[in-house]
Amino acid sequence: MMAFAQVLVSGIAVGCVYGLVALSFVLIYKATETVSFMQGELLMVGAFTALALDAGAGWPAVWAVPAAIGAMVLVGAVLERGVLRRAIGQPHLTALLLTFGLGMILRGAVTAVPAASQSIHRLSLPFGDQPLVWGSLVIAVEHVIVIVATVLLAGLLTVFFQRSRTGLALRACSENPRAAALMGISVAGMHTVAWALGAGLAACAGLLLAPVTFVHVNMGLIALKAFPAAVLGGMTSLPGALLAGVFLGAAEAVAGLVLPEGVKDVVPYVLLIAVLLLFPNGFGGGLRRRRP
Amino acid sequence: MTASPIRSAVGTTIAVAAVAAIALGAFGVQQMLGQLAFVATYAIAGLGVILIVGQSGQISLGQGALLAVGAYVQTYLCLRGWPALLALPLALVLGGAGGWFASLPARRLGGLYFGMSTLAFALIVEEVLVRWESVTRGSAGLAVPAFGAGGWTAGSPERQALVSLVALAAAFWCCRRLLASRIGRAWRAVRDDEVAAAACGIDPAETKTRAFVAGGALSGLAGALYAHWIGFVSPEQFGLQLSFELLILAFVGGVRSLAGALWGAIVIVAIPQLLSPVRDLLPAGLANAAGFDAIALGAVIVAVILFRPQGIAGRGAGPGD
Repeated sequence: MMAFAQVLVSGIAVGCVYGLVALSFVLIYKATETVSFMQGELLMVGAFTALALDAGAGWPAVWAVPAAIGAMVLVGAVLERGVLRRAIGQPHLTALLLTFGLGMILRGAVTAVPAASQSIHRLSLPFGDQPLVWGSLVIAVEHVIVIVATVLLAGLLTVFFQRSRTGLALRACSENPRAAALMGISVAGMHTVAWALGAGLAACAGLLLAPVTFVHVNMGLIALKAFPAAVLGGMTSLPGALLAGVFLGAAEAVAGLVLPEGVKDVVPYVLLIAVLLLFPNGFGGGLRRRRP
Repeated sequence: MTASPIRSAVGTTIAVAAVAAIALGAFGVQQMLGQLAFVATYAIAGLGVILIVGQSGQISLGQGALLAVGAYVQTYLCLRGWPALLALPLALVLGGAGGWFASLPARRLGGLYFGMSTLAFALIVEEVLVRWESVTRGSAGLAVPAFGAGGWTAGSPERQALVSLVALAAAFWCCRRLLASRIGRAWRAVRDDEVAAAACGIDPAETKTRAFVAGGALSGLAGALYAHWIGFVSPEQFGLQLSFELLILAFVGGVRSLAGALWGAIVIVAIPQLLSPVRDLLPAGLANAAGFDAIALGAVIVAVILFRPQGIAGRGAGPGD
């Protein structure tokens, strides 16, 4: 029973990372109709930026982490202004390939640096590495941090989307860009904001993942698990994406415990296909349709 | 397709011959023929992508898995003593069956959702190949015997190039016939407007399935040949990277015309070759060369989408055909 609870907690922690990446993906998709296949690379570059500032330049982690997130926000905004803006209105696949190409450039650039690609790195964050012991339940402190940070981020985003002018404008743009433009909202500006936020969120996910799996060039592959989460959440629902991510993480962990080896890795994709066939509009869409 | 097929075919042939002549001068005969085999094999796989993506307008993110089916079927049969020439049709048929299977969700889904299901299909296939060790030997991979029939084996680069070119020519001819037929017209109708196509009596689900069967068969053929030329198969060769490389190939060449597969294949095979002198110039230890291929390929696809969205073979400003 305790083993089950421990596996579940670590699954939920990993699921939070899936959820955050899915969230960034859905945020960008809703606002700009662009399918971003570079969230994993943004995540990886974010983690490496923090690593370079922390271990390379000797900054304390307290400064390196916000600086890395800030840098990725800037990268997201610059990429939108410079390149991605021109893919607006193209078919899904064209935009998808464009982001994949940009992701390849980012990944190639990191791979080309020998210090970055030749080993895996540990980003030492000041949490201590003493596991939390609660009765006979032992939980790694990184997992707790991931879960707490995800809840905090979700709260912040909720406040941002409900209360702030920019958040409301961003939502208006995703609902109906033309009407938003008529209300005096700069739709192009909102696209920049969406990409900046999306890149920042991916960087947050990378930094949260760093203590769990180390920093390496292929850590962005985790984004492949975020696509099923985004689809399960209905592609256009931010809370749906986060919840589906957590659900997938937990399902994966439980599958790893009770099913034969290897099944764990395909669970998200099998669930994806099953959900697509049973609820073609995602869980959220399926429920929404039933509630008139 | 309709503008002037003969003139465009002649133009393509001349241009390809020119590129070949330059490559011949730069690399020498043997290496050039070896690369030619890969260009032709990639072009066959590219034709599969063009049928699915360019002609019937579906998103396929799992093309690599279809190549994997062909490659593993071919390897499995050859290792059990089948002559390669007899195994090839079976690889082709099972590749088509894989395409049929991957297209099943298209009966209920469209657009991006269906694209996501092909991605899931590819990742599941890759995992199955890793885990089904009794047949595939998992990540350790399998050595592939040389291609051959009777006493003739394609051991040397010129024979490999010959086999690939013959296969490519046959595939190209079949694709041309398909595109000019009722099936090809149905693909384009579904691509341009699914509702209007359905109103004209075309069954969109059936049409998409046909595109995937044809594309899967071409992928199976390409995968089987690729396995022979590389001489070794392992699951990670056919992962997402290959799927996207093939999509990039098709888009760089021009996804709306069959000639695009040729152009794209030349570019994809040429990039690492052209970069190798640059890599040799760099002092050792300064930078990791493995990253440069990725940067170059990424830059090419970004540049093509931004500045020439119709691809090299596409004509005019818009993606017309």
